[in-house]
Amino acid sequence: MKFKIKFADQIVGLFIILSLVFLGVIVILLGVNQRWFAKNYYFKTVFTSAGNIAEGTPILMKGFQVGKISKIRLNETNTVDVDFYIYDTYYEKVKEYSLLELSVSPIGLGTQLLFLPGKGDKLLEEGSFIYLSDTPEGQAYIEQGLVDVPIKDDTITRLLSNINPLLENVNKTVITVNRTLTEINRALAGQSTGPLGNIVNDIQNTTHQFPEMMDNVNGVIADVQSRTSQLIDQVNTLVASLNVITGNFEATSEALRDPTGLIPKLLGDKNNTLLTRINSITAEIEKSVKNLQYIISSLNAEVPKIATVLNETRIAIQKAQDVLEGIKNNPLIKGGIPERQEQQSLYQSMREGNIE
Amino acid sequence: MFIENLYNIHNTCYVNILELTGKKVRTSIYSLLYALGFFYNVLKAIGGFFKKRQVGYKVLVMQILFTGFEALIINVVMAIAIGAAVIIIGTGFLPQFGQTKLMYQILILIITRELGPLLTAFVVTARSGTAIATELGTMVVNNEIEAYIASGINPISYLAVPRLIGVTVSMLVLTIYFNIFGLLGSFTVVQLFKAIPIREYLSNLMQVLQLKDIFLGMLKALIFGMIIAVMSMFQGFSVNRASTEIPVAGIKAVGSCIVLIVIADVFVTVIQYVG
Repeated sequence: MKFKIKFADQIVGLFIILSLVFLGVIVILLGVNQRWFAKNYYFKTVFTSAGNIAEGTPILMKGFQVGKISKIRLNETNTVDVDFYIYDTYYEKVKEYSLLELSVSPIGLGTQLLFLPGKGDKLLEEGSFIYLSDTPEGQAYIEQGLVDVPIKDDTITRLLSNINPLLENVNKTVITVNRTLTEINRALAGQSTGPLGNIVNDIQNTTHQFPEMMDNVNGVIADVQSRTSQLIDQVNTLVASLNVITGNFEATSEALRDPTGLIPKLLGDKNNTLLTRINSITAEIEKSVKNLQYIISSLNAEVPKIATVLNETRIAIQKAQDVLEGIKNNPLIKGGIPERQEQQSLYQSMREGNIE
Repeated sequence: MFIENLYNIHNTCYVNILELTGKKVRTSIYSLLYALGFFYNVLKAIGGFFKKRQVGYKVLVMQILFTGFEALIINVVMAIAIGAAVIIIGTGFLPQFGQTKLMYQILILIITRELGPLLTAFVVTARSGTAIATELGTMVVNNEIEAYIASGINPISYLAVPRLIGVTVSMLVLTIYFNIFGLLGSFTVVQLFKAIPIREYLSNLMQVLQLKDIFLGMLKALIFGMIIAVMSMFQGFSVNRASTEIPVAGIKAVGSCIVLIVIADVFVTVIQYVG
């Protein structure tokens, strides 16, 4: 009997069992490589767009795959909620201030989702939120040196990572310049209500008034010119007078500088007449002053008496006033004194125009 | 008179075309329903086969030996050749675009999902489909089927069920071997031309390979195996009396199997991507 026919059962059995063993080995290899039975630690983050990510996108750290994106969904605020997990073998890297960075190839060779480990002491708990590196929080962590940011792998990416902040600044500047130019254009077109627009409007109005102002200025200048010429004439005259005065003053100064000058000339005649008279007048004045001092000292001595007399006089006047007030109010003699008729002066009446 | 004859001829032709088309459609529908009925009876008889295993056990073993084991060499050669071609093309072409790892996805797509089950089905159709149709047709012509019935043996249970199970199991097993040799055997061949570290190759391959890929490949193999078995047996049992009908049955079996396999392949692929 033919071998195959004789051992058909064994051959077929081996044929089937071997295939099942191969299949089992492949499934086990798959399980080991794809970590079917390993524990994963799940975390959350938020992307602005799901354009460069998908479920299953690997998360890399220094070239090693440390996790995967497990779920993405569009939330109510139109951002993308992303659930991802980190393998248990790399969980110890997930410390405080850890970040995720979506690195897009500059030459269109796909994207990489990078894990940037934090430098904190505590491990992040499962389910924690991890920021992206391009968020304000992520930028703050990086600026404070709380994140271990690796050097970019390729030169182009490294250059671009350096250029990117510059470009952002340039972009901001361009936007600012653009806005300014737009504002200026709007202002020049008369559509702006801001300060620049007001200035431009004022300038425009001023420009419209400028010819009229120039006419006025021309008139003023002509007037000033004519007046200036008159003033110059007057100034010339004054200068001439000043020259004369200066000459006289110079001559006077010369005369005063002479030791045999004006005052000795005035005082110093040969007989000293003027000086003698001045001396006699001075002596008279001195006598008068002494007399005056005597009178004043006498008056000073009489001052308390005078004060007493004045006080008594004031009291007497008050009493006389009271007596008169009593007499005036006495009903017996009330009305006994005829009222004095005041005679108005004729001159005054005539002057006030009372004569008809 | 001439015009009237022409008109009558025209009308007759028109009526004949309609009649022929209608008859063809009616026959096709009848055949399809008959084939479905046949398939239903075979499926119904499978349960009985496992209860009374001794009846067709030897037939089943021989069918697997013939359809599976004997086709293994052709299958392995094809798998290694196609796998090696994909790896060589991939390692030479894809690194230019920095997409070396895409090679593994292409390899899995071709070997595991598409060409593995499809080429295996074509090989089985060419070898076993024609053989089953011819064998059963010969048995019908030689009145062996009537002899079985006369002896109290159900030809469905004894002839059809072992062949259906045998072809389907062979397809599944051959597809597994195709995957193994396509993914790993081809690597050995590639080492002759371009050395790739086995660890790197396996690691990358296993990272990309999903259980879903294996499952879909096996699902296709299962469906293709059932199609091949049912259509081949149906065409074999469709032979009436003449021995000249036997090769025609073989040809029809191959043709219908290929068409249905391609349709089923597209159907499963579409469901896989739409679902």
